[in-house]
Amino acid sequence: MKKAKRNAAIVISSSDDDEDFSLKSNFTHSKPKSQSKSASVPRKNPKRAKTALLSASCPRSSKEASGFDEMKRFCEEFKDNFTGIKVSAGLQSNNAMWVDKHKPHFLEELAVHKKKVEEVKIWFEERLHAAMDDHNNALLVAGPSGVGKTATLYAIASHLGATIWEWNTPTPTVWSEHLYNANSGLQYMSKLDEFEGFVERVRKYGLTSPTLKGSQASVILLVDDLPVVNGRVAYGKLQKCLKLLVQLVRIPTAIVITNYDKDDSADFSTRCWEELLVSLHNAGACKVNFNPVTINSIKKTLTNICRKEQREVSADTIELIAKSSGGDIRHAITSLQYLCLNPHRRPILPLKERPDNSICLDDAFSLPFGKDETLSIFHALGKFLHNKRENDLATASDRDAFILKEKFMRFPLKMDAPEVVLCQAHGQARTLSDFLHENVLDFLNEEAIDDAWLVASYLSDAEFLLSSLNGLLTRDFGAENIVQSAAASVAARGVLFGNAHPVPSRWHAIRRPKLWEVEQSLRRNKCQMLSLRGDLCNSLTLSNQIVMATEYRPALKWLGCRASESFQADDMVEDDSGSTCFHEKKLDMSDDEIEDW
Amino acid sequence: MLWVDKYRPKTLDKVIVHEDVAQNLQKLVSAGDCPHLLFYGPSGSGKKTLIMALLRQIFGPSADKVKVENKIWKVDAGPRTIDVELTTLSSTNHVELSPSDAGFQDRYVVQEIIKEMAKNRPIDTKGKKGFKVLVLNEVDKLSREAQHSLRRTMEKYSASCRLILCSNSSSKVTEAVRSRCLNVRINAPMEEEIVNVLDFIAKKEGLQLPQGFAARIAEKSNRNLRRAVLTFETCRVQQYPFTNNQAIPPMDWEQYLSEIASDIMKEQSPKRLFEVRGKLYELLTNCIPPEIILKRLLFELLKKLDSELKHEVSHWAAYYEHRMRLGQKAIFHLEAFVAKFMSIYKSFLISTFG
Repeated sequence: MKKAKRNAAIVISSSDDDEDFSLKSNFTHSKPKSQSKSASVPRKNPKRAKTALLSASCPRSSKEASGFDEMKRFCEEFKDNFTGIKVSAGLQSNNAMWVDKHKPHFLEELAVHKKKVEEVKIWFEERLHAAMDDHNNALLVAGPSGVGKTATLYAIASHLGATIWEWNTPTPTVWSEHLYNANSGLQYMSKLDEFEGFVERVRKYGLTSPTLKGSQASVILLVDDLPVVNGRVAYGKLQKCLKLLVQLVRIPTAIVITNYDKDDSADFSTRCWEELLVSLHNAGACKVNFNPVTINSIKKTLTNICRKEQREVSADTIELIAKSSGGDIRHAITSLQYLCLNPHRRPILPLKERPDNSICLDDAFSLPFGKDETLSIFHALGKFLHNKRENDLATASDRDAFILKEKFMRFPLKMDAPEVVLCQAHGQARTLSDFLHENVLDFLNEEAIDDAWLVASYLSDAEFLLSSLNGLLTRDFGAENIVQSAAASVAARGVLFGNAHPVPSRWHAIRRPKLWEVEQSLRRNKCQMLSLRGDLCNSLTLSNQIVMATEYRPALKWLGCRASESFQADDMVEDDSGSTCFHEKKLDMSDDEIEDW
Repeated sequence: MLWVDKYRPKTLDKVIVHEDVAQNLQKLVSAGDCPHLLFYGPSGSGKKTLIMALLRQIFGPSADKVKVENKIWKVDAGPRTIDVELTTLSSTNHVELSPSDAGFQDRYVVQEIIKEMAKNRPIDTKGKKGFKVLVLNEVDKLSREAQHSLRRTMEKYSASCRLILCSNSSSKVTEAVRSRCLNVRINAPMEEEIVNVLDFIAKKEGLQLPQGFAARIAEKSNRNLRRAVLTFETCRVQQYPFTNNQAIPPMDWEQYLSEIASDIMKEQSPKRLFEVRGKLYELLTNCIPPEIILKRLLFELLKKLDSELKHEVSHWAAYYEHRMRLGQKAIFHLEAFVAKFMSIYKSFLISTFG
């Protein structure tokens, strides 16, 4: 019984350790037992956990025994337990995170490309030695996460003997906490506000901390954690503030900007970051782009770590990790550590020994580690629209247990299941279905109107699913999620299934849904019409919007000149444009839009 | 001023079309009070005209002095305040509004705004009229929740407030609301009645109106009086003196839809479907409601269709009309209907002509 409990505890500990290594090791050790035996004890109080634990584990211990004895006994027991854990969990006695432990301290250890490192180093050297000239003192370091941006900066700083000053992010205030504090008169400060204050201070007074002044050490200012901004206004504030920093700062400053999902440009915030980069660059900051770390240098680093840790990891496995990490070295190291954690784990078969050869190389989902790559929404759309399939039916009929009618048969897909692709693309179902709707007709065969109907009917289903959520009084996010993913799945699969005779693939540009424009202008027109309503009907009654659109407006157009007596000129202009646009647009359409085909 | 407004009967005794209804209404309010009323009937049959005339009957000429207000109402809904923007048209004794303009927030309009308005009783110097009249348009478009709260409001404030509801179809008004009102059904005018109205207007304007032409306008108007009068005025601008076989200009959106229909009949391909989509977008942008587009499109298609297909096509039109009501983005469903029609029609063409 006890044995079983311990085993459970081990699993918890090893997975937990992955997450929060920053905790003191002492605390980490106490966790497995406290979790296994008295789960109700709050984790934040290890001491109490221990006493509670003790009484639970030795209920028959005599009451007279002194606290000290108890403590000692407990410690022994604990030690036993812990060594047990240590052996099976396979952690080193110094169980730090390998990412921290093997952090590069010297330039040579960096996995980043040498030239890039050199570039940054030279920049800092120039700034540090020829201080106070009117050069721009800001460096933008951009790149995806985990490619060693911050590590490079720290390594260079220690190489040059400079001290790094980092802007310390204040702990964010939770809203409920703020509400709680509101009575005591504490003001709420957003992170952005505090950052602005910080920049203000740096600009005005520099970093002249009194303790540091004597040492004359060269100082590098590092802004790593930019406040998250939401919306135009906040973004503008941040941009202005950073621009000032870039233009006026006197000490060498590195601003680290992480490009999250570079290709997901549909997202507002991503575009913001790009815009920010450009505007800061224009303001005079020097910009260095970090690329993902190459597979070879990841492999080298991983092998080095294995050697230092005295682990036997086959070269194949290292290569697999390196490949699946997608250039993220932090991720690769963590994966390696995770892999070495448990020697009893089913060994990862190198690719060539896999029984099933059909599983292709980039099948990252079967690995216990690796970074699931994210796809841009456009990539996913491309997959759905192009609808690439295998060419022989034989394999398909083998796999399918069902016997389908001829018309329901489709060749197997040359991609992952649509849901998997959707997961990777993390697009909104609404956006996805709008895009599919706009573009799918381009990808259908000239003659295949039946296919067009099938696709259209599935898209209509998806739309119906998506709107079924509206009008509910209470929002149920769980249900909403399910409906959303169901709708996305219906839309994607509908497009794939409906397009039974896909055209041979050629290059198509994916258009932005015209529906969005239409909706916008519809809203505008509606407001306009409602505001006109009063004058139009001689203000004795409010007339219905439908009547306005379908009866009054066309009549007014015909009446033209006569109406202008009683209505203002600008109304008429609006009406005229309305009347002409029907016919003009029609001509336009036949000209350009169809040539795009 | 448009003829529609110019020759709108101002009082109940001047009403031409629904004379019997007008007389009954006159008797109803002769005592100075009235129950809640629900006017229902097709568009262009004269509901609003009757309501306005009725108000004048009750309150006298002060009902004419109206002002249009576009006001933002702040409604307390649990933890937050919601702003609802709404246009109202009000005189001292009545307020008219279309709660369905507020979209899905209509229930707040009904609950809060009406409550508030119903609460302040008008103070009449003579102490005669102790109630205010609320005219609610498009009641059939109200959501179910809104209709439920309307029911409560009606009972609670019946002492100080009379509601006049106006809707196109009574079937979409809940039973509870209907049973609390006196239902007044306003039929669409007969074609002869429309001809009479046109004659009346022609006489007032001093125009010669040939009988055959008036009958054609009446026929074209689909028993919609407003439309008939608007068309009549349009024709007057286009050509006068009138001739019996003068062309009657169709509404531009209808013409556009009939072009779309002939496009669809000519070619059935994804490419054509794409073109049709663009044209449908054009109509939608101009605020033509999708239900009307679908209805009219079906009508135009049926005109040109072989009778053996009519049943199936109508079935699918109904199917997608239902979908459209449930969904949000009408174009998805409209397009699905067009695609289905193309698919049906193409296979029909292939099977008949090979």
